[in-house]
Amino acid sequence: MAKLSTEMISALGNYGHIGFTVVIAVFIGLGGGIYLDKYYFEGATSPWFTFIGLAFGIAAGYKSLFDVLRSQMEKPEDEDTEG
Amino acid sequence: MEHPILFISIILEKLGLPIPHGPIGNGILEKLCEPYMTYTWFVMIFLVVVGKLTLSNVEMIPGKGQNFWEMAIGGMHDFFLANMGEELTDRYFSMIATFALYIAVGNLIGLIPGFMSPTSSINTTLGLTLIVWVTHHLIGLRRHGLGYIKHFMGPIPVMIPVMLPIELISNIARLLSLSIRLFGNIMAKETLLFILFTLAGAYFAPLPIMMLGVLVSLVQAMVFVLLTVVYFQGAYEHAH
Repeated sequence: MAKLSTEMISALGNYGHIGFTVVIAVFIGLGGGIYLDKYYFEGATSPWFTFIGLAFGIAAGYKSLFDVLRSQMEKPEDEDTEG
Repeated sequence: MEHPILFISIILEKLGLPIPHGPIGNGILEKLCEPYMTYTWFVMIFLVVVGKLTLSNVEMIPGKGQNFWEMAIGGMHDFFLANMGEELTDRYFSMIATFALYIAVGNLIGLIPGFMSPTSSINTTLGLTLIVWVTHHLIGLRRHGLGYIKHFMGPIPVMIPVMLPIELISNIARLLSLSIRLFGNIMAKETLLFILFTLAGAYFAPLPIMMLGVLVSLVQAMVFVLLTVVYFQGAYEHAH
């Protein structure tokens, strides 16, 4: 029972926040790009930083996906393989 | 979203304290009397009083109350020990266990009519998440010194200009996703209960949602704690 619930919790924690994290990463990147375009360079570079920020945001979303995958794949191995 | 009747707010209003009727009060006293603040205090007092009542005389052969606490605290301790190692558990057990108890009780209390969940306000969850987020960076800095920046640079030196913004964005995304998920789940539960209660409260319409609410409350508290543990462990170990 204790083992089962621990597994369930870690699965919920690891997979339950994937969707949210990806979406928020995309929006942070997009928001940063729009901020740079509109307020820092005051429209001179529009729309380039928006696109660059969007690309970085999407990449960050995928990176957090891979982080979840990697942490799940490393778990069954021994503890001393890290580093 | 607020319940129609919040008994602490009514008591405070009878005492002559200003209760804000909008989402944000004006004065500092009005801000302190907002429902999520008063119910935060209520949860804190509840936890302290229950702890005092059940653990005032710790015995070798535990009674009912002590048995419960030994199970809860022992289970959490084993879980932390398995996931983030001995040193971190020794140093941060009290902090994370307090968060777990506070969030669990705060979530569950909203199921009782007349109470609201303090965690259904973004201010509470963002406060909790900021503490966790700052602490996990402090753990990393304390353990690795300035070498902590290697966590944000990826494995290949050529890729640093690309990886640095990506890692920074995904790190800030942690802050937002942790706070908004807890807030969103609990607020959805409260809103749904309120709407069902006003629509068909006489026919026990909120009952199934209440049952789901118990599950959601406990699971969200556990997920918050699990992610805290994962972040602490990630900051503590060496960069990949």
